Amino acid sequence: MTTTLAPTRPEDVAGRTTFAALAARALRRFVVNPVFLFAVVFTAWTTWGNPSTSVTDINSVNWYPAISLGGFGMMATFWLTRSMRDSEPVVGVTPTGLPVRSAALCTVAVVPFLCGVLTLLAFLHYHPLNARVYGAFSPPAQVAVLVGQIVLPSLGGPLLGVALGRWVRFPGAALVAFLFLFGWGNLSTVPSLTHPDPTASTALRMFAPFTHFTFTNNGTEMTTWPGSPWFFLGWQLALCATAVLVALLRGAHSRQRTRIVRTLQIVLVVAAIMFVLAVGGGFTHAVRAR
Amino acid sequence: MTASISLSGVGRTFGATRALADVDLDLEPGVIGLLGPNGAGKTTLLRLLATALPPSQGTVRVLGRDPQVPAERTEIRRRLGYLPQEVGFPRGFTAFAFVDYIALLKEWPQPDARHAEVRRVLDQVGLADVATKRIRAMSGGQRRRVVLAQALLGSPPVLILDEPTTGVDPEQRVTLRTVLAEIARTSIVVLSTHQTEDVAALCERVIVLDRGRVRYDGQVTELVRQAAGRVWLADQPDPTARVSWRTGTGRYRNVAAHARDGVEHVEPSLEDAYLLLRGDLPHGKPAEEVAS
Repeated sequence: MTTTLAPTRPEDVAGRTTFAALAARALRRFVVNPVFLFAVVFTAWTTWGNPSTSVTDINSVNWYPAISLGGFGMMATFWLTRSMRDSEPVVGVTPTGLPVRSAALCTVAVVPFLCGVLTLLAFLHYHPLNARVYGAFSPPAQVAVLVGQIVLPSLGGPLLGVALGRWVRFPGAALVAFLFLFGWGNLSTVPSLTHPDPTASTALRMFAPFTHFTFTNNGTEMTTWPGSPWFFLGWQLALCATAVLVALLRGAHSRQRTRIVRTLQIVLVVAAIMFVLAVGGGFTHAVRAR
Repeated sequence: MTASISLSGVGRTFGATRALADVDLDLEPGVIGLLGPNGAGKTTLLRLLATALPPSQGTVRVLGRDPQVPAERTEIRRRLGYLPQEVGFPRGFTAFAFVDYIALLKEWPQPDARHAEVRRVLDQVGLADVATKRIRAMSGGQRRRVVLAQALLGSPPVLILDEPTTGVDPEQRVTLRTVLAEIARTSIVVLSTHQTEDVAALCERVIVLDRGRVRYDGQVTELVRQAAGRVWLADQPDPTARVSWRTGTGRYRNVAAHARDGVEHVEPSLEDAYLLLRGDLPHGKPAEEVAS
């Protein structure tokens, strides 16, 4: 039997090489962005430079990487995405379309993601698993909680920054989004403080790209809230994919747009399923321990 | 195959404003000048040719390809250089970095070849010495040349230039003319400008647009010839002249709609011919309203 291989068109090869070169250039610009550098220094300082040994609840420390790598990372990619906006009359008539440029920008999120992984490892070093600070979760679920609180926000924030940069004209959109998400992430936990068991409280808490799974009252009573950390990871990943697809949608021509919209529909369905499972999974009631 | 551009019945509207109407053109290699008052539709026409804007009516073919079809549009863009009227620059970019970035977007992924090409075009526009200077610290003329440099990347078969000489000093304009004349041996160079002397010096063919319609399309020499016998110098402005102005010698240059005898005729310029052509039209209405 003989197999005929379809010849690779030179344009395809050129397109792939161009994409790789564009991604490398975007990475170089991102890693020297002052906002991102500040985020890295801040994360390093809070994780390595100032490891607290008297942590009674991981909630008191785990939001630092999410804010710095995710939040400031979002502002950095937003700025990076918008930086070429004024040059669009020239850039827009090159053979490299806007979706390719958006995809290249999305690849920079790998840097904060890796920073998030390093932070996670450091976190586990300073706060070993099975410690009381993690609540009543099993060790694998404790890792899932940390991945959802440290690693995935570090990935999702920068991706959201690219999507915002492509679609929103307002120059302060990333800052507004940052403040909104920070506020929402905190406010949505308020009902769980007094009424942790109702599904509505859990759903409200989970309907965010970052959530808490535990709460400690005056450092004495540790409460583990309902909800599945594993399915919450699925929900977060679906949100990351949504941000990428929304970014790619800008400037996509008719056939590309149809494909992206279809994929987006699937991702949104997956996100909804993951959200429902995250709310319905895990402990059915809050688990309290002294 | 010879490079060509053709427009057939092309129109473009923006809301209720008609920027272009019923434009039929066939363009072959050479420098083609595009003249017209503000709001005549020059930039709209150039943006259509540069695939930055789709037409509302009619068909455009650039190098035999339809810019409306995404794959063909990409093919056109691979062979296109475009200098728009206004461009902003990203913060912190040097001239080299900016042109290099555009070269990357124009699918020059190999760094060595790309850098050599970037250096070549920066040298062509006289910016080799300031290639590492930040663009935001450059003068207006230098910035204009940075944008021109990116348009020249790869010596494209189609070069669309919207007022390339704005803010550029006379010496550089002469250099630029030499560069464009060389490129125009094999490429179509469409040059929109308000500088009639640039058109006179460079172009064999000129297109005059007014209120979105082609008012004149032909040889520059023919347009100038139409003004023969209608331009003269006098000590006073002539009330019968379409336009008159005081020249540097203190005498008045008069341009009239009809030939005059018994006056001191001078050789008409393209500007005189253009003013005469414009004089036939009512003023002050930049674009035609679409009839509802």
